[in-house]
Amino acid sequence: MPIVEFQNVSRVYTGGEHTLRALDRVNLTLDSGKFIVILGPSGAGKSTLLNLLGGLDSPSEGKIIVEGRDISTLSGDELAEYRAAAVGFVFQFYNLIPTLTVAENVALVREIVPDALPVDEILGEVGLFDHRNQFPAELSGGEQQRVSIARALAKNPKILLCDEPTGALDSETGAVVLKLLLSMAKRHGKTIVIVTHNQAIAKMADVVIRVKSGKIVSREEQAEPLGVDEVEW
Amino acid sequence: MLRKKLWRTFLLYKAQFLSMILMIAIGIGIFVGFNMEWVSIEENTGSFFEETGFADYRLISEEGFSGEEQEKIRDSAGIDAAARYAVFDVDVAGFGDDALSLSVTEDASVSGFLVLAGEAYDDESDDGIWLSDRYAAANDIAVGDTLTLDYQRLRFSGEVKGLVKAGEHLICVRDETQLMPDYDTFGFAYISPAFYERAAGVPFYPQIHIRSALTKNQITDLADDVLGRTVMVLTKDEVLSYAEAKGEAKEGKAMGSILPVLFLLIAVLTMVTTMHRLTAKEKPQIGTMKALGLKDRRITRHYTSYAFLIGLLGVGAGLGLGYYIAWYIMHPEGSMGTYLDMPDWTLRLPLFCVVILAAAEIALTLIGYGSVRRMLAGNAADALRPYAPKKMKPLRAEKTKLWRRLGFGARWNLRDVSRHKSRTLMSLFGVVGCTMIIIAALGMSDTMDAFLDLYYDKATLYDTRINLADDADGAASEAIAGSYGGDTSAAVSARLEDKAVSLEIYDTPGNLVRFPDEDDHFQPLGDDGAYVCLRLSRAFDLSPGDTFTLRPYGGDDVYTLKVAGLIRSVSENIVITPAYAEKLGLSYDIHSVYTALAKEEIRDDSAIASVQSKQTIIDSFDTFIDIMNVMVYILIAAAVVLGVVVLYNLGVMSYTERYREMATLKVVGFKDKKIGRLLIGQNMWISFLGLVLGIPLGVYVLGVLLDALAGEYEMKLAVTAQTCFLTAGLIVGMSLLVSVLVARKNRKIDMVEALKAGE
Repeated sequence: MPIVEFQNVSRVYTGGEHTLRALDRVNLTLDSGKFIVILGPSGAGKSTLLNLLGGLDSPSEGKIIVEGRDISTLSGDELAEYRAAAVGFVFQFYNLIPTLTVAENVALVREIVPDALPVDEILGEVGLFDHRNQFPAELSGGEQQRVSIARALAKNPKILLCDEPTGALDSETGAVVLKLLLSMAKRHGKTIVIVTHNQAIAKMADVVIRVKSGKIVSREEQAEPLGVDEVEW
Repeated sequence: MLRKKLWRTFLLYKAQFLSMILMIAIGIGIFVGFNMEWVSIEENTGSFFEETGFADYRLISEEGFSGEEQEKIRDSAGIDAAARYAVFDVDVAGFGDDALSLSVTEDASVSGFLVLAGEAYDDESDDGIWLSDRYAAANDIAVGDTLTLDYQRLRFSGEVKGLVKAGEHLICVRDETQLMPDYDTFGFAYISPAFYERAAGVPFYPQIHIRSALTKNQITDLADDVLGRTVMVLTKDEVLSYAEAKGEAKEGKAMGSILPVLFLLIAVLTMVTTMHRLTAKEKPQIGTMKALGLKDRRITRHYTSYAFLIGLLGVGAGLGLGYYIAWYIMHPEGSMGTYLDMPDWTLRLPLFCVVILAAAEIALTLIGYGSVRRMLAGNAADALRPYAPKKMKPLRAEKTKLWRRLGFGARWNLRDVSRHKSRTLMSLFGVVGCTMIIIAALGMSDTMDAFLDLYYDKATLYDTRINLADDADGAASEAIAGSYGGDTSAAVSARLEDKAVSLEIYDTPGNLVRFPDEDDHFQPLGDDGAYVCLRLSRAFDLSPGDTFTLRPYGGDDVYTLKVAGLIRSVSENIVITPAYAEKLGLSYDIHSVYTALAKEEIRDDSAIASVQSKQTIIDSFDTFIDIMNVMVYILIAAAVVLGVVVLYNLGVMSYTERYREMATLKVVGFKDKKIGRLLIGQNMWISFLGLVLGIPLGVYVLGVLLDALAGEYEMKLAVTAQTCFLTAGLIVGMSLLVSVLVARKNRKIDMVEALKAGE
């Protein structure tokens, strides 16, 4: 059953006399509970797609339906509510608040989501309970990304959106983080969308969508995706 | 090429650059403006006194001086010039109750005047009147008009030969109780000794004016020797025009050397933070230039030139603003022009201001130099790395129970404050500084109001003061006092050590004149001692129980008085009762009568010299207060503008530094309003803390200001609750305005762009 539906979605950026069509009339459906990888080279439009789905940006035309609700026409505050309730983000550069401890970075979602998951429980799941009182700068890159995953999951969103989640990590750490991300998503029953140019990650996905020049060039369902340990990095 | 970069960087950071220029301009402007004001008064009045031969000393004797005595004085060693001098108030016939202070000097180079229009002064003219140009203008009198001036039984009828200004009448008032000149009703004029002799027959000169570099003691000894009798010796510091001009300059100096320095400090210190942040932001570019092979010296020169240029523009604009402020306070058509009557109103830039301007420019350039050198430290690879803010460490407060109770916003803000201490301290310093300036400025006004309220509403309960004629006899004086049913007083000029003071005898059965003590409580005068004003008590270290000696002028008698109490007074005086005067052996001849009746109810009487309503005195005080209020308003306006600029500048800096954090919060799902509240919260904390620190510090600064003015006024420091609330309102309003302006920027956060790069 589709959780996300893009209907003729375009995103056009204008700057002076130049216009850039980052997404061009994209039609797409994403099913609930799946692990979806959006693959493409730099500038293909994959991050734009993720940002539109995450409510960070609005389409120039077309509709984006998430769980039956069109988010393309939402106001700024409504989009904030949508981001708070429906999606969790994991970024390449973690984007943690440097002045908050690990626990506080995760707990800050409680400010906007009343039924957020218990902080200690989620930190335990990502293996960072003992680091709960440390600041992000005191952690390694992999640990910081695990905090970021914990924060995204703490909101208990339906969809996890990840933009190059292993892009800033070495391959070994990247594999550990990815494994954790996938296991957590599976355990909590989340739909997970990862945007990457890393072909290796695609082998683990249920669905691989290839993007090029703002268009979807292919969509491939993988009946038997590989496990993290089976992939050659 | 780098020059193009300089201009483009200016455009890129225009808000920060403009705010820095504005901060420097306000700091410099207030400093220069206030200091130019007092220096211009000092120098312009000084050269005016010099040009008109203002006397250094005046010998005063009720018996008068003969020509022979004047010659002896003039020919004594150390005397540059000496002239017999007479001055008395005359009525102007045909001009209602108008009066002129009519002066005669035997030598126009001593206590003379400047002729601005009409004929040059002729000391042989026996009908020429050289009239105050301001009085002439106010009463439509022109050169060639005839005036008739009456003094008791004397009549001076003559032609206005010239229009003049005189150092002696720089502040043209009837006496010390009239604070502000009123040229519609009172002016001054000079006539020649020839005219005086023709009208009076035998001219009477009660004064000899002297120009000399000798000390007062030397002049006193010289007068005693030459004249063989004790006469009153007044230095120019004891003459109203000179003392007030000096006081005005001193007041300006006090105002100019305390509060404006704060403005400068705020501006320069904020510049340190801003320049550091700007260069930190430019670090990757600095590193790129270094990596490309540009020498450190060239990069340093390039970035130092930003600070130099900001300084140059700020100092230039500040100089312009300073001139404007100085002109606003001090120009002939302004409130100062209603007070001082002098020909030259040139604004003068003191040398120390030029030094400060140069020092400010150098300091600002050094700030820029220091900032860029920090970013250039290490090799090219080090310089290329973006500037990393300090790593966060747990605060000590985090171990407390209270910390655990704090919400997310409070923790976020407290940690931000701890991480960006210099920025926070600068914001706090800005708020504290503005609070101090506003409290001190408004407090100055409060203090003056409280003083006037105490003196004119509580201490003097009469409506009208009747000044008796010099030749009124005791019976006539008693009759007037009896018929108007009031209090009475007499004043005797006396010497306390080397200072001329006024010994005043007050008989106050009607309680119309009261005397406040140091704590502003009114005490009934006792008959066992004298009540000394605070200024004299401080100057001569007199406390209740002490004794001191007084030598009334015009005789050799010496009186020993005991201090019964201290009083807060407008003038430097000593007050005793008639009973105590009698014990001392002093006679009591009434000079003034105080009555609750209105001025209009006082009937003409040959024993009455003049009648003054208290309201007229209060009105003249109001004008006097207006001059001070101009300074107060300028200070407050500048403090608010500077505060807004400083807080906005630091607020934008804080916003820029936390841009990424706010973008993260936004992505997580925080609404703009909630993020805005977090930002506003931090500013409000700083503002409240600034108020808590700034209010007592402002009161302290006011105390320092009042101490500097202690020789001029006997005011008790007063800061009303209204002033505190108004200050708090201004500071909170200012902070809120800036916070809202900065918080509004949240809406424009580009979440996608902000989260692309790593920290």
